[in-house]
Amino acid sequence: MKSSLLTLRINRFQKEKDPQQWIQIFQVEARKGTNLLEALLRIQDESDGTLAFRYSCRGAVCGSCAMKVNGNLVLACRTHVEDLFGKPALVEPLPFFPVIRDLIVDMSLFFEHFREMEPYLHGKPIPSQLEYLMEEEKRKEIDSYINCILCGICFGNCPAFEQDTQFLGPAMLAKAYRFLIDPRDRRLEEILKAVDSQSGVWGCKTVFNCVKVCPKQVPPTHAIVKMRGRILRQRISSLVSSISSLLSRL
Amino acid sequence: MEILSHDILIVGGGLAGLRAAIEVDSAGRDVAILSKVHPLRSHSVAAQGGINASLGNAPTLVKDTWENHAHDTIQGSDYLADQDAVEVMCREAIERVIEMEHWGTLFSRTENGKIAQRPFGGAGYPRTCYSADRTGHNLLHTLYEQVTGLRIPVYEEWYALSLIVEDGRCAGILALHFFEGKIVPIYAKAVILATGGYGRIYLRSTNAVINTGSGCYLSYQAGIALEDMEFVQFHPTSLYGTNILITEAARGEGGFLYNAKGERFMERYAPKLMELGPRDIVARAIQTEINEGRGFEGEFVHLDLRHLGREKILDRLPGIHQIAMDFAGIDPVSVPIPIQPAQHYSMGGIPANVDGETPLPGLFAAGECACVSVHGANRLGGNSLLESVVFGTRAGRKASQEVGTEKRGPNQTFFQECLRRYQSGLEDIFKRKREEACFQLRNEMKSIMTYQVGIFRKESDLQRAKEKIKELKKRLQGVGMKQRTLPFNYEFIQYWELEGMLDLAEVIVEGALARKESRGSHFRLDYPERDDRNWLRHTLGFKTPEGVKLDYKEVTVTSYPPMERKY
Repeated sequence: MKSSLLTLRINRFQKEKDPQQWIQIFQVEARKGTNLLEALLRIQDESDGTLAFRYSCRGAVCGSCAMKVNGNLVLACRTHVEDLFGKPALVEPLPFFPVIRDLIVDMSLFFEHFREMEPYLHGKPIPSQLEYLMEEEKRKEIDSYINCILCGICFGNCPAFEQDTQFLGPAMLAKAYRFLIDPRDRRLEEILKAVDSQSGVWGCKTVFNCVKVCPKQVPPTHAIVKMRGRILRQRISSLVSSISSLLSRL
Repeated sequence: MEILSHDILIVGGGLAGLRAAIEVDSAGRDVAILSKVHPLRSHSVAAQGGINASLGNAPTLVKDTWENHAHDTIQGSDYLADQDAVEVMCREAIERVIEMEHWGTLFSRTENGKIAQRPFGGAGYPRTCYSADRTGHNLLHTLYEQVTGLRIPVYEEWYALSLIVEDGRCAGILALHFFEGKIVPIYAKAVILATGGYGRIYLRSTNAVINTGSGCYLSYQAGIALEDMEFVQFHPTSLYGTNILITEAARGEGGFLYNAKGERFMERYAPKLMELGPRDIVARAIQTEINEGRGFEGEFVHLDLRHLGREKILDRLPGIHQIAMDFAGIDPVSVPIPIQPAQHYSMGGIPANVDGETPLPGLFAAGECACVSVHGANRLGGNSLLESVVFGTRAGRKASQEVGTEKRGPNQTFFQECLRRYQSGLEDIFKRKREEACFQLRNEMKSIMTYQVGIFRKESDLQRAKEKIKELKKRLQGVGMKQRTLPFNYEFIQYWELEGMLDLAEVIVEGALARKESRGSHFRLDYPERDDRNWLRHTLGFKTPEGVKLDYKEVTVTSYPPMERKY
C-alpha cells in the first residue's frame, strides 16, 4: 500500500522542561488505511521516545486515546491518516482536563464524578439462581447509553463546565439515566434527586455537543432532557397532590 | 524506604483481576489492584461475542447441561485440557453468569425476557450468552462499577517489575509508579497475577498494544515453569489491514466464508459445522485457501454478512458494523468483510490449579495469563470471559482463606536488598551505549513469530526462529536508552517488555520444536497427526542460564476418553 508523509504539530508539555510547553513538528511515513495512533506509536519508536500519550486497544473500545486533532475531539485510533494528509495536523491534549504530560491528561475529577453517581446496579431482590427478566426492547433502550467507554471526549467540549466546574458532565448523566431506566434497579427517587441540581441536569446547555462528538454514538443530552421531564412531572404531581390535600382540608 | 502493604495484591485490572478483587474484599481482606492502565482500558473490554454457560435459554428453551459444555470444551481442546478443571469451570459458569446479570450486565434477551444465547464454534448447543457484540465491554464495565462501589483501591498506571520471593514464598512485588518514576516495594501476603495474554509477540494479532505477557514473564523469572506455551490460538477472522477482531458471533449469527472463487470453502474442512467449526480448524482452512491461491490479493478471504440483512446486523452485530466502517471503510450490510487469521489468545501460561494456586506459595494466577488448563490445545469461543470470572473468583476466595487474618509484615532488610539490587541492574542498563533501538528488535521478533511460528509450523522454520530469537536476545544487550531517568520512561518500559516477550517467544518455539505432533492450534506440517501415545501431556518450560529446559506432566482425564475430533 502507498505511504505518504504525515506532518504532525504536537502540543508538548513537560513540567521539568523550560519552557514547559512547546509545539513540536514531527514527520512520519504513514500508509493509507492506518490511523493516527499508529503514527504516534511510530514517532515514539523512531523519533522521540519521550512523547507521552495513552493507548491500549487500538480498536476504539477502550477509551484511552482521546485527544484534540485539528480542533476536533477524537480517538486517535479512530482517526484515519488520510484525513490528515496535506497540511500539518495540530495534535493537542483533550481540553478541560489538566495536562500531566504531552497528550496525557488527569482524569481523576472525571472518575470522581463517576463515583459520586454510585454507578452500580442497586438491584431489586431476586433469588440468586434466577436472572431478572427483561424485555429485549428495554435492553435496546438502555443499550445506547451503556456503550459509553468513558473516554472523556464529551467533557472536552461541554460548555456547561464554563459556568460550573462541578457540573457532573454528559457521560455521568448518561450513566445515571442508564440506571434510572433499568427495570432491575430499585432506585428512582434517589437517582432523580442526585441529578436535580444546577450541577446536574439543569446545568446542561442542551447544545448537543456531546451527542455530536461521542465516538460511540451515546446521546447524553437526550438522557438529560428525559430526566428533566421526569423531575418536572414529579414536581407537578407533588404540587397537585399538595393542592388537593389543601383543598380537601378547606 | 517506603513499603506499601496489603493482605492481597492483584496485578491486572481486567475481568479476572477485578473479579478476584471483589471476592477478596467480600472476605474482609485488605485488597488492592495494580494495573499498568486504568482498569477500563484492559483488553477484556475488547471481547465481543459472549460468555458460555449452559443456561438452556437459547432463543427458545433447550435441554443443555454443564456436562455438554464440558464435553464440547474438552473435545475442542483436542483432549489436552485437564478434565477436572473443565468440569469446575462449566459447572460454575451458570452461577457466575447470573451473578454478572445481577450486578447489572446488560445481556441480550430471549422473547421471554431471559438471557439470550447464540451458537458458537465447536459447541453442540447455542450456549454463548451475549450483550449484542460488546460482551467484554459490558462485563468489564459492570465489574469496574462494583469495584468502584466497594471503593477497592487501584494503583493506576503502575507496573509490576518483579516478584519478591522470600524463603520460597511470594511476598510482594517491586512496583513502578510510571508517572513519578518511583520504584516502590509492595508487600502482600498473597499476590494474584491477572495480567492477560502475550499476543503482541506476534505481528498479526487481535490483541491490544498492551498485551505483552508481563505476568507470565514475572513468574518465569521467579523460577516457575510456563505450561503449554506452544499452543497459541489464531482467530479465523481478523479485519484485513489492522487485524482488529471480527467476532465469531458474525458466523454464529449466520455469516458465511467465501474464497476468491466464490466457494463456501468450509464444506471441505468441516462439512457438518461449516463456519462454526472450532477456531483452529477454521483458521487453518482460511490460511490454506490463501496459501493455495484462492484468497483475494493473496492475503484474505471474505466474511459475508449481507444475507443477514441490515436489521439483524445492526441489532446483533452493531460493534462489528462500526469496526468495519471505522477501520476498513466498508459497510458490511452491502459489502463482504475482508478477513484473515491472526494471533488471538494464549492457551498456555502460568500453571495454576482450579483455585489459582501456582507452584510458588503465595502466588496465584487467573485469567489468560494462567494455564489451568481448561483450553488445552485450542480454546472454544466464549470460554475466555468465562474462565476469567470463574477462576478470578476462585483465586480470590482461596487467596483470602490462605492469608487468613494473621498479622505479618515485610522483612525490611530483605525488601531493601531487593530494591537495591533492582536499581543497580537498572543503572547498568542506563549506562549502556545505544547501539540499537528497541523497536527494530521487536519488529523482527513479531515477524519471525507470525511467519515461522504461526498457524502452520515445521522443523526448519522453528529452527530458524530459535536461532533468530537467540540472536535478538544477544542484540538486546546492545539496546540502550536516551532517557536515563524513570518518570515516563517509555524506552525503559519497551525494553523491559521486549526482554520478557523474547523469553516467552523462546519458550513457545522450544515447546513447538519438541512437540512432534499436531494437536489443536499447534499444527506441524512435518507431523500432521495427533499422537496421544507420546504427546497427550502438558509441556513445562523452565528458565535456566542455558536457556529453556523442557519437562512434561500428565493430562487429567476424568470421563471423556480421547477420541478423534470430527466436525
